[in-house]
Amino acid sequence: MFKLLKEVFRTGEATVKYPFAPLEISKDFRGKPEHTAEQCIACGACTIACPANALAMETDVAAGTRTWSISYARCIFCARCEEVCPTQAIKLTPDFELAVTNKADLTVKAVFKLADCVCCGEPFAPAKEIAYVTALIEATSVTSADGTTAAVSEDTERRRRMLATCPSCKRVNDLVQIARITDQQEKRR
Amino acid sequence: MKMDTPADIKRMKSSLLSNIRRSAYVYRVDCGGCNGCEIEIFAAITPIFDAERFGIKVVASPRHADILLFTGAVTRAMRMPALRAYEAAPDPKIVVSYGACGCSGGIFHDLYCVWGGTDQVVPVDVYIPGCPPTPPATIYGFAVALGLLDQKLKAKTHIEGEGEQAGIAHPAVPYNVRIHIEREARRMAGYRQGRDIADRFLGMLQIPGDLPLQQRVETFAAAETDPRLAEIYLQIGETLQHPELRP
Amino acid sequence: MNINVTDRVGASHIEYLRQKLPHAVLEERWQTDKQVTVTVKLNQLPEAVSTLYYGREGWLSVVVGNDERSLNDSFGLYYVLSMEGEEKCHVVVHAAVPSDNEEFPSVTPKVPGCVWGEREIRDMYGLRPVGLPDERRLVLPDDWPEGLHPLRKDSMDYRLRPQPTSDNENYQFRNDAAGETTVVPLGPLHITSDEPGHFRLFVDGEDIIDADYRMFYVHRGMEKLAETRMGYNEVTFLADRVCGICGYAHSVAYASSVENALGIIVPQRAQAIRSLLLETERLHSHMLNLGLVCHFVGFDSGFMQFFRVREKAMTLAEMLTGARKTYAINLIGGVRRDILGEQRTKTLQLVAELREDVQRLLEMLLATPNFGPRVAAVGLLDRKIARDYSPVGPLVRGSGFKRDTRVDHAFAGYKNVNLGVHTGDGCDVLSRTMVRAAEIFDSLSLIEQLLDNTPEGPIINEDFVYKPYQFALGFTEAPRGEDIHWSMTGDNQKLYRWRCRASTYANWPVLRYMLRGNTVSDAPLIVGSIDPCYSCTDRVTVVDVKKETSKTIPYKEIERYCRERKDSPLK
Repeated sequence: MFKLLKEVFRTGEATVKYPFAPLEISKDFRGKPEHTAEQCIACGACTIACPANALAMETDVAAGTRTWSISYARCIFCARCEEVCPTQAIKLTPDFELAVTNKADLTVKAVFKLADCVCCGEPFAPAKEIAYVTALIEATSVTSADGTTAAVSEDTERRRRMLATCPSCKRVNDLVQIARITDQQEKRR
Repeated sequence: MKMDTPADIKRMKSSLLSNIRRSAYVYRVDCGGCNGCEIEIFAAITPIFDAERFGIKVVASPRHADILLFTGAVTRAMRMPALRAYEAAPDPKIVVSYGACGCSGGIFHDLYCVWGGTDQVVPVDVYIPGCPPTPPATIYGFAVALGLLDQKLKAKTHIEGEGEQAGIAHPAVPYNVRIHIEREARRMAGYRQGRDIADRFLGMLQIPGDLPLQQRVETFAAAETDPRLAEIYLQIGETLQHPELRP
Repeated sequence: MNINVTDRVGASHIEYLRQKLPHAVLEERWQTDKQVTVTVKLNQLPEAVSTLYYGREGWLSVVVGNDERSLNDSFGLYYVLSMEGEEKCHVVVHAAVPSDNEEFPSVTPKVPGCVWGEREIRDMYGLRPVGLPDERRLVLPDDWPEGLHPLRKDSMDYRLRPQPTSDNENYQFRNDAAGETTVVPLGPLHITSDEPGHFRLFVDGEDIIDADYRMFYVHRGMEKLAETRMGYNEVTFLADRVCGICGYAHSVAYASSVENALGIIVPQRAQAIRSLLLETERLHSHMLNLGLVCHFVGFDSGFMQFFRVREKAMTLAEMLTGARKTYAINLIGGVRRDILGEQRTKTLQLVAELREDVQRLLEMLLATPNFGPRVAAVGLLDRKIARDYSPVGPLVRGSGFKRDTRVDHAFAGYKNVNLGVHTGDGCDVLSRTMVRAAEIFDSLSLIEQLLDNTPEGPIINEDFVYKPYQFALGFTEAPRGEDIHWSMTGDNQKLYRWRCRASTYANWPVLRYMLRGNTVSDAPLIVGSIDPCYSCTDRVTVVDVKKETSKTIPYKEIERYCRERKDSPLK
């Protein structure tokens, strides 16, 4: 009993002041995932990596949009999304004050436009994703451009066109090309 | 299967919230959680966080409860016990859904032996997300449940603006060099600390100077007091000697 | 995988088996240099398991079923034995059940520890263990449709939810007492902090004659989830959620099972970080249990003190991983966060504080007059029962067995540290509590050792090739004892089969023997002493053997009786 009392007096006030004063939290605490929609290219890497399916992506071809969403209700705060994001558009913040009375307030969405395929005109991929990859290719070609500018820009142009083509058109184009090559080989014989 | 709240009980509930002048009694209903939530609720009522200073007290029977705290994804075997606990609590009662599993089923949301969250079986008043919610998040949740604090989160929908474009990080550094640095930093220190380290390293590369790369990296590492960080900087510098990265 | 014959540990066990049962062994396959799977003839399975179990100091870790009909037209049965005599290693006894037969000879009559594993195989695969003395359901809910076996590959989608058929539980509780009894049910909801379970005590007056329990109220179907919705990397996060208290141990066990199966070399630094975090987890878990012991002996101030100090372990976890629980630090091949200089300093400081605090609290607890006499000679785990059922962790160490996976099968960073095994010989609640107390100081010292000699280099190796249909074991020593996982890769970046056995699963079957002969007021204390991720239940059915009366008593009443020891609820 004496030892207990000693311990009690030794400890004094142990309780934190929260919620009357802010709480000290580790810098890298995994709290609410914050999505910066401007920086997101809707590539879908996070939706595939999420173990809990808290992140989702829905494509509406008729409206030409792709909607990204996160449910904080389902989120398990593992930070896989942050780890796989190629543009640093999602990051876990130390914010832990997430309780709500209305479940709908636990969902954050972002709607992105789809780009149309340059061949068939059908929407197929987020416009921002294509723009981002195009910008990366251009940046790469600028840095390695000295001397052989013409050849490089021709290559860049070809890659840019390829990026703006939908998978099914690519397949058709490939077939056309294969047909042409076989044709030439036939002729050569 | 799901229960509903009649209108007069809704009225009683709002008057309970506005007139409560005594302790709020909480009964926990474990509907098949992993114990992570249970243990954090415990941490919330023990000395460091001490929810009891607000009169929040965990009680032993649903018949004494003002607040029912449901944890877990509601497993098949726990559906009836959960409903029995709900019915045993006197009206008006506040139902709190606790943790990712309670709020929506969490990582288990679509499994064969769960019903996917508290609101699949009983009406819920407050959701406390987290996996598990920390004790401060629990205290905040109770405060929201009792109407003492307002909720901060709001549903949001971002619509892509005209000309909106994702920026490229460190555009002055060649793409393959940046990717190489970021990958090596993640391999050495993981996604979070690695990203900070890569950013610092890339920042260093962009400071104008005539010294050869290796020398700059060595000076940078030598200025670092944390030996592990210095080791990582040197390691990243070494991989930059890779032939395909030479300009 | 190719393993040098000279590096293999455990070949003598196979030799022994071949000698004792000349024609039983069909094949041997080595997964790592200390893991071997021997295929035996199905009709000699019970002899093969018991030969290794009793003849070579084998302990049963887990029984795994696997639907391999698409691979080799059979169901696989794997009895995993941890060999703890000479040549410490894991031997897995495998037998194939032809797909058109659907039954196999039960091993339980020869090795009682197999009982839960075989009941689970019956539930999940619909294979009948012939000769199994207990044919009740184990895992599936009482109203689950007959004949629907979730882990059969062709049985159902993982999302199928059959409509509920009954609102009543109809589990048959078992009572081995001779003569008539009275029943005391306990559960499945509980008041303090317990997971759902349902107890039945069979009593004569105040004395417990027998006990039975229904667990698995929390069965969710994780193993099916791991082979359907998730990729192999995501399962590390699922494994974190097997248990909210010792989840990280599961995550490490799972990750190392896949790493062993695919032959991935995990960097030394990642291994050290894993061990360090496992010890952090042990700190908070053991302090939790010490707090609960205080609570059950009626010393609630002590409970609060232990929980106050325990928060330092939680702060440590938050700083190192970003979360107080569910660390989410593993990926296949390594870890996701490093320990930098700043964190190292803070960790050492917290460890030093914890050492002092825990020391003082322990002195306080031991100086409390009603503690020692209240827990000594209560809840005896007989050594013979322990040997037959293979319990793990502080429970078995409290009965004098030196079983500790960290020492027997050093994994992760434990190969490079100094660590002894604490045992007690009282076989009672006191011994188990003292083992846990000693282990707290071990954990603190291990964290310091690991920080003193942290290897340099990377923390993850993702440079590996995923190969289909490879399998192996992964194991850790969780706060409650050995966690063991068996994983087989599929052909689609997912798992074909994941079997995860938590430490408490191995400890439940002996609880009944520990309860027998004690008084009703000791029941919560005994259940708490196996640290079952929290005691268990809220309703105890007490059955009086002589009076033939049955009375349902709320668990809180029993718990109050345990704490105050007056006004018996049975009167």
